[in-house]
This record gives sequence, structure tokens and C-alpha cells, in this order.
Amino acid sequence: MFTESLEKGRKVLSNSLTTVAGLRQLAGLALIFIAAIILSPRDRDTMEVIFLSQANLTDIVRQVSENGIIAIGMTFVILTGGIDLSVGSMLALASTFAAKLLMQWPTDGDWTTHIVIIIALTLLMTMSLGAMMGFAISKLKVQPFIITLAGMIGLRGFARFLTDNANIDIGFGKDITASFCGMFSEKAVVMLTFIILALIFYIILSRTVFGLQVRSIGDNPTAARYAGLPVHRTLVLTYALSGLLVGIAGVIHAAQNHQGNPNDGVSYELDAIAAVVIGGTNMAGGKGTIFGTIVGVFILGVITNMFRLKGIDINVEMMCKAVIIVFAVWLQMPRVRK
Amino acid sequence: MKKILTTIVLIAAVVALASAGDKKLVIFSQCNNGEPYRAAQNASFKALWAQDKDVTFQILDAQQDNSRQISQIETAIRLKPSLLIVAPNERGPLSEVMGKAKAAGIPVISLERDIENADNYDTWIMSDNYAIGKLVGQYIVDYLTKKYGEPKGTIVDLHGLLGVEGETKRENGAFDVIKAYPKIVKVGDAVANWMQSNARDRMTEILRTQPQIDIVYGHNDPMAVGAYLAAKALGREKKMIFIGVDGLNGVGGGIEQTKDGILAATFVYPPCTDKAYEIGEKMMNDKSFVPEKQYNVESMMVLPDLAKKIYKAK
Repeated sequence: MFTESLEKGRKVLSNSLTTVAGLRQLAGLALIFIAAIILSPRDRDTMEVIFLSQANLTDIVRQVSENGIIAIGMTFVILTGGIDLSVGSMLALASTFAAKLLMQWPTDGDWTTHIVIIIALTLLMTMSLGAMMGFAISKLKVQPFIITLAGMIGLRGFARFLTDNANIDIGFGKDITASFCGMFSEKAVVMLTFIILALIFYIILSRTVFGLQVRSIGDNPTAARYAGLPVHRTLVLTYALSGLLVGIAGVIHAAQNHQGNPNDGVSYELDAIAAVVIGGTNMAGGKGTIFGTIVGVFILGVITNMFRLKGIDINVEMMCKAVIIVFAVWLQMPRVRK
Repeated sequence: MKKILTTIVLIAAVVALASAGDKKLVIFSQCNNGEPYRAAQNASFKALWAQDKDVTFQILDAQQDNSRQISQIETAIRLKPSLLIVAPNERGPLSEVMGKAKAAGIPVISLERDIENADNYDTWIMSDNYAIGKLVGQYIVDYLTKKYGEPKGTIVDLHGLLGVEGETKRENGAFDVIKAYPKIVKVGDAVANWMQSNARDRMTEILRTQPQIDIVYGHNDPMAVGAYLAAKALGREKKMIFIGVDGLNGVGGGIEQTKDGILAATFVYPPCTDKAYEIGEKMMNDKSFVPEKQYNVESMMVLPDLAKKIYKAK
């Protein structure tokens, strides 16, 4: 009798906490935001709080965009109970592939069409590679960690192979590459891409059948299978989606860095995973939101900015981030004891 | 609520530890603290700027990541520093953001490496890597001529990060000299990204396939030392010589290794910090001062005898 009522109480508490979870994450971000305002140095001339200046705030959005776009895909993957370790290498491959095509594929005339085709080819490639990993995970029943670890190694090799280890610099003349960099390194374009993608995938996850399937598979794969959910198709689509989003981040990365660099993107997977878990997504799958992930991305971004404005050593920054990740996850844990 | 408060107090405490006053701000964006040459630059700069009581000196470590260095400089611009010194990780990616700093009215020094667009910095303080490469090339020719009576022999070439100005010029300088002697043959060619550990691995592979090697040319000292360690592990370190570039003084630097006979020679690539400090200070304090577009800091060759004379532990 007692255990029954305890269980009932736990459920009520857990459910109510899940509904306010989003708000709680926002409270975490708000607190870090306030800390950043208090600690921000002031402008030498105008005495304005530098952190709050429009230039600085938009800098933050630009700086988190790539990680944000990757983290959206990572959220879907983690929701299915998986993980995608290949995103860093995939980003390097996408940026290198796009830069190589831009430099070496001759064009006469319509640059815009040419650029659109190159981006489409790049995204098609990353999406297919993602789908292949999803297929292997679903059909071969090998753990996602292992398949995407193999992807991480193999894609890095492929990116380096494509350019013979060298970097491809783009956008320094008056050619098509300059036009490409001009378009996609623009701060507003980078920010808008991130925001629009976040909105689209927020809707896909929370309002569509596909979103429900993703969450159901992570929540209870066996039940999902018995309930007749298209588990295989959903997994393939999820990893393809992650590939697509990383491809988009890779194209932006190439434009912003004026370079396709096969050695870039190292440890980007960890940044994305960090943002997802700070955002309250359960690593075992099933529970999590895009909203939470975006909050997680911004928590990391604002902290980084706060430390940089203070000129604090990057090693101290990394140690503090580690503590903050643990704190953030702890804060969001349902406060229920067994 | 308690949890949240604890979190915020912790963050605030850590961040408050390092706060700057109303002094002039000098920011140095370093591409990678992880290399010994860079650590020497940082230490030298810290000592130099500590002489100016009205200056707060900050180092940003980009950890060999272009995106991170771009973001760090972007944020640094918001702080309106009195001087920005950048050791760019790569020529292409850093070009635009350095231009933004200059456009914001901040005096910008490009340290050691240059960038794609020379309009995007005020002055470039460098040492001529091509000239160093030529010194290396001449040393190799002289050494082999002395050894065999004519310029012939085999060399192994260990590269740093490809595409970087220093790497390209150290390579071209040396081989523009060597290519006049067709009997000097390159039998090993590997990329070790400036890292001792990478060089050790690459050299082990080369040693397995090449029975005869006369000289190993590491484009920096750590790579030459890595190659030495690989040869030593196979008992072959006495059958060849190792030469490197950088010539840092102090414990673990190229000068010490040359003094100890691990390297046969090192070619000093000066950290350029003294010159950067001198010019940077003028740019900050004297508004009428216009720096030259480029300053060249001289290099030199250090053989064991000279190394013994100039070595300083600290």
C-alpha cells in the first residue's frame, strides 16, 4: 500500500517536472545571462556593458550557429537512443568537398546556379553517408557508437584523401568562390540559417508523426517494434537528417573560414553532445526537445563569451565548462529519490 | 533554488578571479599554446609587457583551430584593445577577421606568419623562413660534400602543417639549394604537423624501408628530435644526423639538444617578440608613428660549439 502511493507520488512529481522542464532550462540560461551582464567589462568610451551590445550578442549567435545546427541533428539521434560521433569528420568532409568543387569545377556564366548545385551535391553526399550509417545501425544491429566511430575515422580519412592533406583556400579573388564566401559568411545569413532550421526541426520533432516515432523508438525500442512502428526507416532517416544538418554546417563553415580544411571539426561531436545533454535530453533516448538543445547551445555560447570578455585562460574555461555541464544536468534531473 | 544559487556563485567566483582594471589592453591571439616555440613566445611577451605598468596583457589560445581563433578575435574587438597582436593559425581563414579589427581602428600586428590580404594588418613582424631554408640547404650540401668528397647522399624531409607559410618556405628554401645537386636524393618525405610524437611515428615507418639515411631535416626541432628518438629505438641514431629549425633556448629547446649532440645543428627562428614589443609600444603610444609594412628579424645557424656558449637553462 505504502509503495503504491509512493510510486503514484513519484509519477505525479515526475510528470509535472517534465512539463516545466523547458522553463527550468530557460531559468538556467537566464541566470548565466545575468552573470554575464554583471561580470562584463564596460566599453572604454561609452561605458556601455559590452556583453549587452548588439554587436556582441549577434557575435554569440554567429559563433554558436555551427554547433547549434549540428546539435539539432544530434538531438534526434540521441532521442532514438543512439549517438553520432562522426559529425566532426563529416563537417570537415562537407567543407572540403564544397571547397574542392568550387575551386576545380569550371563554370562559365551563372555562378548562382553553380553554387546551388555544389551545395546540393554536398548535402546529398553527407545525407547519403548519414543514411548509410543509419542503415548499418538498424540492419546490422551494431551499436551506434561503433558505427559512427568508424564513420568518424573513415570520413576524416576520406576528407584528407580528397585534398591530399592540404587545405583549399577559397574566396580571395574575384571568382565564384568569393561570391560563395560573400553569401554564406554574412553574419545575418549564418544566424538566420540556424534560427530557421531550429524552428523547422522544433516543429518536426514536436508536431509530426516522424517526431513521435523518433521519441518512441528511444523510449522503448521493443515496444516500438511490436507496435508496428517503422523502426528501420526511422533510424535511417534520423541519421540521414543528422548528415544533412552537418552538411549545412559544413557549407557555412567553409564560407566563414574561407577554406575547406580536412583537419577541421575535431571534437565538434563533443560540443554538440554537451549542448544536447545540457538541454535536458536523456542520453538513453526517448525524452528531450529541440528547445532544450537550443537553450543548451546558448548556455555554452554565453559562458564562452563571458570568459572571453574577461580574458580568462582557455584552459580555465574548459575546466569550468566541465563543472557547468555536470551542474546543468544535475539541475535538470527529476528530483525523485528511490 | 539553492542549486541554482550555488551554480551562479561558483561561476561568478571563478570569473571574478581575473578582472582587468582601467589600464591599456594589449591582446595577443596565439594560434596554439601547445607548441614549444609558441610557449617561448608567450613567456617572452609576458615578461616584456610586464614592464609596462599601465598595460594589461592577455593571451588567447586558439589551440590550432581557425574557427576558435576567429571567434576569439571577434570578441576581442568588442573590448577595443589598444593593440592586437595575432599569430595567425592559417593565412586564409584569419584574413577577414583581422581586417575587421583593423577597420575598427585597432592597431594590428601580424606576428611571424602573414595572412592572405596584406591590407588587413598594419605591420608584419617576421623572420624570413625562406632564408632559413636556404641556410639549411647549404648546410646539407656542405655536410654531404665533406662526408663523401662530393655532394651526394640521402635525406629525409619531415614537414609541419601543410599550407602554412613557414612550412612552405622552409621546404622551398632548402630544396632550391639542394636541387642543383642531383646526387642528393630525398628518400623519405612525411607530414608530422610540427609534433614530436607524429615525427617519431613517421620516422619509424621510413626507417623500416630505408637502410641508408645521411640527414634528417625536421622543419622544426621537435620533429627532428622525434626522428632521433625513432632512430635511437632501432639503434641507428649514430648512422645519421638530425637537423631542425627554431633553436629555442632553455630546457628542452633546440639549443640544448644541439649542445647535447642530439641535433647536429639548429637554425634559430627568432620568436620575433622583442621586435613586436618595440613596434607595438610605439604604435600604441605615439599616434604619429607609422610602422613599416614588414620587419625582418635575422636568423642564425647554431652548431654544437656555439650552442654550448649561448645555452641558458632559463
